[in-house]
Amino acid sequence: MRTGLSPIVSVEDVSVFFGSARAVDGVSLDVLPGEVLALVGESGSGKTTLIRAIQGLQSVSGGSIHHREKAEESKDLRSDSGVQMIFQDPTGALNPRQTVYDIVAEGLRIRREGTDEEKRVSDALARAGLRPPERFFPMYPHQISGGQRQRVVIAGAMVMNPVLLLADEPVASLDASIRGEILMLMRQLVDDTGLSILAVTHDLGLAWNIADRVAVMYLGRIVEIGTTEEILENPQHPYTRALLSVVPETRRMEQQILQGEIPDSKRIPAGCRFHPRCPLFRSGDLDETIAARCTTEDPHLTLGAGWHAACWAVDPQTK
Amino acid sequence: MMEADNNDRPMMGAEFILSVRDLNVTYQTTRGPVPAVRGVSFDLAAGDSLGLAGESGCGKSTIAAALLRLLPPGTTTTGEVTIDGKDLFSLSPGGLRAVRWTKEAIVFQGALHALNPVQTVGRQVCEPMLVHETESSQKAATEKGRNLFERVGLTADKLDYYPHQLSGGQRQRVLIAMALACDPDVLIADEPTTALDLMVQAQVLALIEELRRESALTLIFITHDLSVLAYVCERLAIMYAGRIVEEGRSSEVFDNPVHPYTRALAAAFPRIGDRSSRLAPSGLGGDPPTPGALPVGCPFHPRCPLAEDRCRDAEPGLRPAGPGRAAACVLV
Repeated sequence: MRTGLSPIVSVEDVSVFFGSARAVDGVSLDVLPGEVLALVGESGSGKTTLIRAIQGLQSVSGGSIHHREKAEESKDLRSDSGVQMIFQDPTGALNPRQTVYDIVAEGLRIRREGTDEEKRVSDALARAGLRPPERFFPMYPHQISGGQRQRVVIAGAMVMNPVLLLADEPVASLDASIRGEILMLMRQLVDDTGLSILAVTHDLGLAWNIADRVAVMYLGRIVEIGTTEEILENPQHPYTRALLSVVPETRRMEQQILQGEIPDSKRIPAGCRFHPRCPLFRSGDLDETIAARCTTEDPHLTLGAGWHAACWAVDPQTK
Repeated sequence: MMEADNNDRPMMGAEFILSVRDLNVTYQTTRGPVPAVRGVSFDLAAGDSLGLAGESGCGKSTIAAALLRLLPPGTTTTGEVTIDGKDLFSLSPGGLRAVRWTKEAIVFQGALHALNPVQTVGRQVCEPMLVHETESSQKAATEKGRNLFERVGLTADKLDYYPHQLSGGQRQRVLIAMALACDPDVLIADEPTTALDLMVQAQVLALIEELRRESALTLIFITHDLSVLAYVCERLAIMYAGRIVEEGRSSEVFDNPVHPYTRALAAAFPRIGDRSSRLAPSGLGGDPPTPGALPVGCPFHPRCPLAEDRCRDAEPGLRPAGPGRAAACVLV
């Protein structure tokens, strides 16, 4: 991760509302060049809506999203080949009637970048670990394995030479042994090409395996952000602490099972949105003035480099 | 569970609630016979918990279906399954009905598809009690349904809800309540938490643990997520290509696997805080074999980092690998 460089994408106070549902509710986030940033959270936290907004597939209700490339070339966002997306289920993402070659070349054809098509398709397949690439050209998705299919999806994204790869649960539907192979490939692409990856996942093991930084989302907000070590080894926000305590792999912490589920985004609690489920707030151990703020004032994350949490009790920089 | 570990269990006249002996299941397909389960054996006493782990196609869900005789017609099944002293495969349809729900019940994954969308969940939970006559009246069944809902952490008013009005975690709780409707001895849970969020998964796992402690429920838990099994089950059996390739106490199998396949599977679920896996995902090349076209010799040898020439010759059976442990690998 090369800090100090200007971000690949800057998300500033972005909100996405669906009627009265506040799916994304004031999120600010920078993705730096050459980093893997894991955006973790449960269903309903707004993480998928946020990356759809970053890709331009979802219009925002408030705030703004700046792409570095786009600012320079003032391209229409939707045709911006600098941002590519890979999805959860490779089988669903591939057209069963297209050959691997046609699948990977499709982006180039749509963008009319077909001058050296065969070489670029070949390079992208090789980069995704499908070697020799020519062997895969005539194959159909059903003729290759699940792991190879996800590599074809990645090749289809890499052929456009993206600066940012958005990955929505990239390994959730893959078998355990294949999972590691695909994660290795993603990390290698970042290290070799300087690409950035924003990976949306509920899998904290994925973050530990490949991410430089982790941002934790709860009910439309980022509640804690920092380096992977800071967030996963020494979490401070009570939500992150509870989440980590129930990962079966981490048996070192005392389990804190939160009751119920994430509230409806149409009825976001007043004050800190987490306070009705917050073990710290409910313990009654909090200082009275802090506890009063939890129920009345909405905590905001401080922006900028380093670790931050949106919590009146644990981060003095909370605004 | 298997012969290899009988020495660490008091053998009080082999009082097993469920015994599986040399189970083989072969599906008949248009492309010929496909062996899905090949020679699986295990024994469970009341209150035991066994985790079955493996990747897609390893046969773990086929075992679940075989234990309830839910396999499609035309499937060839050999071997012996004894449930509470009764031979499952020779039961009459009436006898089978008496076993399902009251002796063994299953919780499937994908809670949305397993529920009828046009009936209230309360009606669906009460139906098996009335069909199996474990409750004598609608009133008694509703009362029992109310108790079950409370046990699984749902308020009684949810009995009147339709499945679409409930969240994923709540629907999974309904399925667990339904499986417990006729007080089964054995609960088979097939990927019950796979579609759920971390916190909801933790809630469901804690619930299963509590039910097991309270009522000596025997549990078979099936998933590809080894870390979940290590947490929920006392014993673990790792499956590959239709066979058990390693088994033993779950903490031992997870922390100190001996079969090269188990090692790869355990490494795929990194331990947060473990420096050796930080920025170093661990995988296993290749894909699980197609059940219809298994490699000759050890079915794992094409993917095995330690394979030797002899691994291509014959398929190794389970052999002892320490107290209460066994593994099917020539290197053990």
